[in-house]
Amino acid sequence: MNTWLILLGMALVTYATRALPLLTMRDVNSPLLERTLRYVPPAIFAALIAPALLAPEGSLEAGPHLWAGLAGVVAAWTTRNMALTIIVGLGIFALLR
Amino acid sequence: MDAKPKTQELERTRGVNLRALLERQARGELWRGFVDTMPLWIGVVPFGIAYTLAAQTAGLTPLQTLAMSLLVFAGASQFTAAGLFAGGAAGLSIILTTLVINLRHLLLSASLAPFLRHLSLWKRAGLAFGITDESYAVAVRRIMERQAGPALLLGANISLYVSWQLSTLAGLLLGGIISDPTALGLGLVFPLSFTVLLMPYLRSRPAWAAALVAGGLALAGRMLLPGSWYLLFAALGGSLAGALVEKKR
Repeated sequence: MNTWLILLGMALVTYATRALPLLTMRDVNSPLLERTLRYVPPAIFAALIAPALLAPEGSLEAGPHLWAGLAGVVAAWTTRNMALTIIVGLGIFALLR
Repeated sequence: MDAKPKTQELERTRGVNLRALLERQARGELWRGFVDTMPLWIGVVPFGIAYTLAAQTAGLTPLQTLAMSLLVFAGASQFTAAGLFAGGAAGLSIILTTLVINLRHLLLSASLAPFLRHLSLWKRAGLAFGITDESYAVAVRRIMERQAGPALLLGANISLYVSWQLSTLAGLLLGGIISDPTALGLGLVFPLSFTVLLMPYLRSRPAWAAALVAGGLALAGRMLLPGSWYLLFAALGGSLAGALVEKKR
């Protein structure tokens, strides 16, 4: 397949995942669905965090990623400050690596 | 909606120009969203450069490399696609892999839908183009708590879009000067910032349940499931767990 066609196909399927619900969902009539959608943020955040810290290479490991992440959790919990949390986490990672 | 008559009445009786006031508020939110996303640039830049190097190595032309960033605008899937191009994968399988990696967007988009449905179709279509994990993460809580409008999300989307295009350009210009920009561990910026954004949610039991179930499922799925299916399943399972715990109380 032509590379440009592949790029176009990638763009189309990606846009579809972003746009379909936003363009087609009118009223949410199911209470369970309505509640489920409200818990998407904490769920997706945790789903992105856990493997990145505990299994960065695809298998469980307690390495620099985990310790840096735990330091970040403490910083995030106490300060709620994103810049500071990033600095603390990256700093610990740099020290341990 | 009875907002309009109210607006007109206020404008008539108090001489307040509410429309101008709302426009100023939206501009403020746009800027807020842009600025609040800036700490994530630390992670975006090396990731964008790494994508560019991978795409170049795979034999994509500079124009194709940039076009993918401009049109697809989804880091993880672009990076994976570069690897597939390098391996000579069939076009259809590259497109399908992209679809699977990005299926999680369905959940992000669906969870925003109830809060953005008052917007015109064109505005929703435009906002949707820029939805990413990162910009969603920055804007979603304030939008769901109705502390901010869609302008906040638009600002966050633009912030990420601009930094992604600039880092793709930087990768093209730097060429082989940096061999592995991800070696510094700057990719940790993403889980670290998601941690900060998760904190305000951890005040209720259902939210705890959502986070714990999603985290556990993601971890198990990352190790057991092929490809990127785990993100969709974990996010879906986690938010369902949150909803069920809320119902029980």
